[in-house]
Amino acid sequence: MSLLVVGTYPVAGGPLVMGPVSVPSDSRVQVGDLALPGGQGTSAMLGAASAVAAHLGLTSPWALLAGDIGQGDGTRAVHEALGDAIEVSRPDVIAFHYMQPVMALMRRSLDTINRTAPHASLVADAGGMYAAKAAGLAAQFELMTPDVGEVGFLADSRATHPAYVSHYLFGTQGFDPEKLARRAYETGGAARVLLVKGACDHIVERGETRAVVDTPNVPALEAIGGTGDTLTGLAVAFLAAGFPTLEAAVCAARANRQAGAAIGATPASRAFDLVEALPGVLGENLCAWTGACAR
Amino acid sequence: MRDAAPDEATGLFLFDRVQDALRGEKVLEQAGHAVALVAPPMRLRAGCDLALALPRVEYPGAARQLQAAGVSVRDWIDDPEEPTKLCDIVTTVDFGDHVMVRAGNMKITVEKATGTIVNTSGGGCPDIPYLNLQLVGREIFAAPRPKDLGFTLCGLMLDRAFVEACALLGGEAR
Repeated sequence: MSLLVVGTYPVAGGPLVMGPVSVPSDSRVQVGDLALPGGQGTSAMLGAASAVAAHLGLTSPWALLAGDIGQGDGTRAVHEALGDAIEVSRPDVIAFHYMQPVMALMRRSLDTINRTAPHASLVADAGGMYAAKAAGLAAQFELMTPDVGEVGFLADSRATHPAYVSHYLFGTQGFDPEKLARRAYETGGAARVLLVKGACDHIVERGETRAVVDTPNVPALEAIGGTGDTLTGLAVAFLAAGFPTLEAAVCAARANRQAGAAIGATPASRAFDLVEALPGVLGENLCAWTGACAR
Repeated sequence: MRDAAPDEATGLFLFDRVQDALRGEKVLEQAGHAVALVAPPMRLRAGCDLALALPRVEYPGAARQLQAAGVSVRDWIDDPEEPTKLCDIVTTVDFGDHVMVRAGNMKITVEKATGTIVNTSGGGCPDIPYLNLQLVGREIFAAPRPKDLGFTLCGLMLDRAFVEACALLGGEAR
């Protein structure tokens, strides 16, 4: 099974790149000859996904990326090139990640996927998730990975961006992920499976909570830019490895937390500290968790 | 019950003069924004005027580009159909040596003793990884504001968290 990640990297005017992902010894994620900047975002996601592929002896993930610092130019470029990327990479899983949430572009890309890769499982996080939900396309997705603020956005049928989420969805006691995830599914704002990341990670299928992962408890993970990205990278890689979606989400939540504990995460840690811990975490735990043992 | 999704989440720049709208279109197109010249809804018209529609998420950066180019804008309308306002829920988490401020979907974490920004997180627009690279490691009172560096609503929400973090540390954002 193969994975294609569609996203952007934070370099103004950075070129469109497409190809298999590698992580050389300096921990900089590369697509082809291009080394991506570190930090949060699609780079962290690809680092985690590559760790899973390497551990299980699977082919590297593919990425379709372009430079974009928020003006939407790189986002338009990757949507434009999606058909070509599908033709070359023949993906079974397509994941949309950091990108400008433009509904028209997401509609066009889903039309392309429906024509050229109708069997592919679709995953969305970050701006890809915002665009899919705002365009009314969330139900076509297999998995989304919202955080605290974002699950409220998915549940708010009128909101087109998390910045506009209605107050009443948060209630007086803070956020209730199970209630919001159910509402999101009922109003067409959610994928079939949601991995709601937070102090407790909730795995929700068709609006019903199927699993909660809350150990090890590493509160600092919320502060670290990119830990949601590593979580998504783990989940999509497990999905592309053939894990059922619920199991992929549960394993991702466990591995991400375990990596946080392994590095003794503080609010000043970096997402790539987690990526570097993943080979050890997967080696020590994945076989026991799932029966998926390294080749 | 499912609501139909809108065609696009666009907002409108309103101008007093048609020339300003035309010049604004040129400035924003050259900057890479996908914009359209449209007639504003009747209730927003000041006369025989033109408005510029663009994806709402791109407003902060586009407004800054128009200002830098000296294009006079009368107003920005988030939602031409009905009024909307940004989420203003701000919460904090005390980690001991660090404090994290969350505004909507965006978070900033600062070391209390030094004021150093040690992390930014949350969000999903492409300027967020860029802002992370630009801000982490800087002293918050000397750092540029996210609203001045970013281009999207996520960047604007990060700015709200940034301002609140400055206030918590006993100062004002520059």
